[in-house]
Amino acid sequence: MQKFFRYLSQSKDALSLVVPAFKRNRLRVLSGFLAIIAVDIIQLQIPRIIKKAVDGLQESSVTQPELLRYGLMIVALALSIAALRFGWRYLILGFSRILERDLRCTMFSHLLTLDNRFFQKRSTGELMALSSNDLASVQIAFGMGMVAGADAVFMTIATLGFMAYIHPILTLIAISPMPVLAILTTVLSARLHKRFTKVQEQFSELTEFVRSCLASIRLVKAHTQEKHQSGLFNDMGKEYVRDNIRLAMVQGTLFPFAGLIANTSMLLVIFFGGRYTIEGHITVGEFVAFTSYLFMLTWPMMALGWVTSLFQRGITSLGRISGVLDEHTALTSTETEKLPADTKKLRIQDLTYTYPGQNRPALEKISLEISPGILGVVGRTGSGKSTLCHILARLSPVMDNTVFLENRDINTLSITDFRSRVAYVPQDIILFADTIAANISLGNTDATMDEIQKAAATASIHDEIMEMEEGYQSRIGERGVKLSGGQRQRIALARALLLDRPVLIIDDGLSSVDMDTEQKIIAALSGYIRDRICIIVSHRIAPLVNANTLIVLDQGRIAAQGAHEELLRTNSFYATIHKYQTSFTTTPPENSTEPGGPAR
Amino acid sequence: MKHDFGYFEEDHLSQVSDVKLWKRILTYISPYWKQITTAVLLSFVITAAGLALPYLISLAIDDYIINTEITRLDRISGLTKIATVFACFVILGFLANFFQVILLEWTGQNIMHRMRQDLFSHILTLNLGFFNNNPIGKLVTRLTNDIQNMHDMFTSIIVTLFNDLFRIVGIFIILAWMDWRLALVMSLLVPIIILNTVWFSRLARKAFREIRTQLARINTYLQESLSGMEVIQLFQREDEAEVRYRNLSRDYLNKSIYQIKIFGIFMPMIELLSAISIAIVIWHGGGEVLDGRITIGVLVAFLAYMRLFFQPLRELSQKYSIVQSAMASAERIFQLMDTKPVMAAPEKTIQPSPTRGHIAFKNVSFGYNRKTRILHDLSFTIEPGETVAVVGPTGAGKSTLINLLERFYDPDQGGIFLDGHDLKKIDTLWLRNHIGFVMQDVLIVPDTIRKNILLSHEADDNTLEKILEQSQLAEFVHSLDKGWETKVGQRGIEMSAGQRQLLAFARVLASDPRILVLDEATSNVDSETEIRIERAVATTLANRTGIVIAHRLSTIRRADRILVMDKGKIIEQGTHEILMAQGGMYAHLQNLHMNGTDVK
Repeated sequence: MQKFFRYLSQSKDALSLVVPAFKRNRLRVLSGFLAIIAVDIIQLQIPRIIKKAVDGLQESSVTQPELLRYGLMIVALALSIAALRFGWRYLILGFSRILERDLRCTMFSHLLTLDNRFFQKRSTGELMALSSNDLASVQIAFGMGMVAGADAVFMTIATLGFMAYIHPILTLIAISPMPVLAILTTVLSARLHKRFTKVQEQFSELTEFVRSCLASIRLVKAHTQEKHQSGLFNDMGKEYVRDNIRLAMVQGTLFPFAGLIANTSMLLVIFFGGRYTIEGHITVGEFVAFTSYLFMLTWPMMALGWVTSLFQRGITSLGRISGVLDEHTALTSTETEKLPADTKKLRIQDLTYTYPGQNRPALEKISLEISPGILGVVGRTGSGKSTLCHILARLSPVMDNTVFLENRDINTLSITDFRSRVAYVPQDIILFADTIAANISLGNTDATMDEIQKAAATASIHDEIMEMEEGYQSRIGERGVKLSGGQRQRIALARALLLDRPVLIIDDGLSSVDMDTEQKIIAALSGYIRDRICIIVSHRIAPLVNANTLIVLDQGRIAAQGAHEELLRTNSFYATIHKYQTSFTTTPPENSTEPGGPAR
Repeated sequence: MKHDFGYFEEDHLSQVSDVKLWKRILTYISPYWKQITTAVLLSFVITAAGLALPYLISLAIDDYIINTEITRLDRISGLTKIATVFACFVILGFLANFFQVILLEWTGQNIMHRMRQDLFSHILTLNLGFFNNNPIGKLVTRLTNDIQNMHDMFTSIIVTLFNDLFRIVGIFIILAWMDWRLALVMSLLVPIIILNTVWFSRLARKAFREIRTQLARINTYLQESLSGMEVIQLFQREDEAEVRYRNLSRDYLNKSIYQIKIFGIFMPMIELLSAISIAIVIWHGGGEVLDGRITIGVLVAFLAYMRLFFQPLRELSQKYSIVQSAMASAERIFQLMDTKPVMAAPEKTIQPSPTRGHIAFKNVSFGYNRKTRILHDLSFTIEPGETVAVVGPTGAGKSTLINLLERFYDPDQGGIFLDGHDLKKIDTLWLRNHIGFVMQDVLIVPDTIRKNILLSHEADDNTLEKILEQSQLAEFVHSLDKGWETKVGQRGIEMSAGQRQLLAFARVLASDPRILVLDEATSNVDSETEIRIERAVATTLANRTGIVIAHRLSTIRRADRILVMDKGKIIEQGTHEILMAQGGMYAHLQNLHMNGTDVK
């Protein structure tokens, strides 16, 4: 218990998370607890009635109508117990569900405000586990855990009181084995927890193995690795079996042991209590009542260990949840300036950006002026192209006075206002499980079908949508149509175009579209782009040759800047990439002229 | 233990009485009949030991505690005797319980292990068409959660089924033996208990299912939102997302509260029935004591047995739902096990040797489904030692060509011949072992680099060193502390995309097949790796019949012949110079790459 309370005080921060819910529902929780106490008090009356009846029978002083009265009294008490039990179940368990709902919604609302630094740090799977496993253990701790805890504490005290009232020394004798149970439970619980975690890890490893093996089934078959994979799976399965049996060894001791201790107490009561009865210290009725009380005590004793572990788990989970709620977006805005009317000029000045936990900056000393027209960004993987896009879409935080919109520092502009100027096509396309029309009109739910179709046509996807059985009403997702990578990218482009915003950023968002189609799209875009800022990232140079300006990023720096022809003439690095992508040389130049290339 | 985020497939819940299903399950259980029989025998011991205890108490009361006919000393020594017997039974029960838990866990785990292994090996034999139609997530669930469901049934149900059944039957027998009249009165309660349980099980199951489905909905939406967070924020859909999530959570809360109410009625109901039974014992049994038909000891024993009787009833419905979900899992598992590979192997397969490497496609037509045909009447031959590059826009059918050659699918019409033998007549495993494969994805086996290169082949250190040199992997491998003994994959180091590609080439060099199929990766790698890959391509293709889906111009140039595909047909073929001179599709594609403009 002591350990338990120390644990509680350590987890004060985490617990402060549930305080508001307790305050809001104080009446509910309070009456719930009262109901539990009332149930316990009434429950303890039943053995007393039994005692009276048995004593009466022993002395032959009881009559048949009296016995009936005893019986009816028990039923009456039981009825009120049933009503009160329903009461606390509804009140306290209901509270735990309300608490769960509140935490769930708070967490989600909070997640919506976090920036992509956070989401890079925490995987979706981790956050999903938080919302399913951790919330569940919090709910159990504050539902069944709280009930069982209150019940166990109160029952123990009350039962011990009643027992001591009958015979104090016999009570001490009866509960003497209980501390052994408490100690053993604590020791074994720790081991149980460790082995349980091991089993869970083993289980997720097994799952991951199966997933990755089936995901590359084509390769497994091509390399005829079926037997080998089966063998590996077999080894892992055997390990899993072994760990489960190790877990069962602890479990198999813990639970029968609680029964063993309870029965030992009963044994002591028979031996000593029986003696006391024979010696006339207590009546037979008292002896019988005593055994009834002892029986009542068994459960709270067993429950204490269980309740402790429920709370430990619940509070650990609560700590994890509060860890997420303590995270705050690094995107800040003073909101001191009003959004300018125009969006004709974006300026980046001496921008250096380093991801948290990394030494090398992702972008280094970038200075750039962007005006309407196409800005092409090329460079190899990891050169900082996406980081630049994230910053311009206001998804990643920047230092003051590094990025300007119409000469206003973007950190002084409201984030939402700024974002309302930007349409974005990310590298990994996320579409929602809804109709194609709903996906395209995601940011502009009022759009007419005509507008949706026009956007789709510009993105060169209209014809393919029309070929589907339900056209624009086709559903995307597991049970809906299966889209190719290129189709998904073009739908995402249509979605961005429909926003009709002055800045369009395509972050390598046409990589799965074949070159022919990409050309068509860029040609179709030319009308749309005329007085907008359009930033297109591509790993292919060819589609960007007509861009107003091109920049080449290399290791976070702008290695070259200018129009295509100009760059071809003046920048050897760009020329090398271009030549490399298009020329017919069988081997690329041995000593390539790339700046800052990996050291040999 | 289950981390499936509450996803639950409700498509078809089976009936527990499904005889066929049980027969299938029995075939897995029957090898362990010895262990199961022992467990059942242990159940007998546990029940007997447990039920003996109240009887011993009643004996103690009647024969010694209230027996004034013998001396006090005799009474106390008699009590000691009973206490000793009691202690023996307690220890016996404890040991039997412990061994039963371990034995059943061991048996259950081994049965599940076999089932999982059978299922996994079976899934690996299925052909690719199956994997296209069944999402990996579903198959993973079969192998992990569904198997786990069945295990839960094995350990918790089989034990408790016997333990509870023996206990309930045993209690009735003892009661009837002690006092058949009282037992008869008690048995009047049985129909009420059964009705109550059946009614409750039905409601509870429905409530559980609704809760689980709702939780699945919440999690699906959460997953979608988390992976689409960027999009939600950029398109400013935060408010909408929040409202939707809030509504989903509210429905979940309502469904949980409904479940709480159902449990709130049922659980106290069982307690109420238990109290009523005690009242009956007091009233009716007390009357019989007054009439001298039974002793007080018998009455006390009755009271104790009634408590033991109601204990298992509380969990009965919960256990019923475990059985339900396990049977649903069993049905899904066996359904999957019954899925036959679509491509039946011929009665007699041939293993042509030695291979020359002559490939012929004769009038091949093929589609992945009936609606869309991918290849149309395709014919071409490749001479031994010749390298053929296949080029064409996305969706032209290039990858399908490879799928057919590897015999992942059979052509709908026409045939494919290796050295004059129809692929359908050749042993599939032999075929795949004799065609080298380099695809865009690379299979990483969670094992050492050496094992990853050699797969099923053997090679001495010198040969391996030579392979590493030729495949350009030497530098990478030598930079590792443990060299080629370094583990990669799930429990080892990560390899970069480029290194994976090189590994694929090393594999081909290790198996040294006559035919090489190469699907060039389009992914971006840095120039240095690019050079390495080019060298590896050159070494690997030398002296082999090669089909290359080419993206690198250097590879295309190296080919002896170029096949230009479009919409499932070969529209041009020849060398680079000839095709360029023709000014057809090939020239058009090349110009796109070169200039970003079409010179046609």
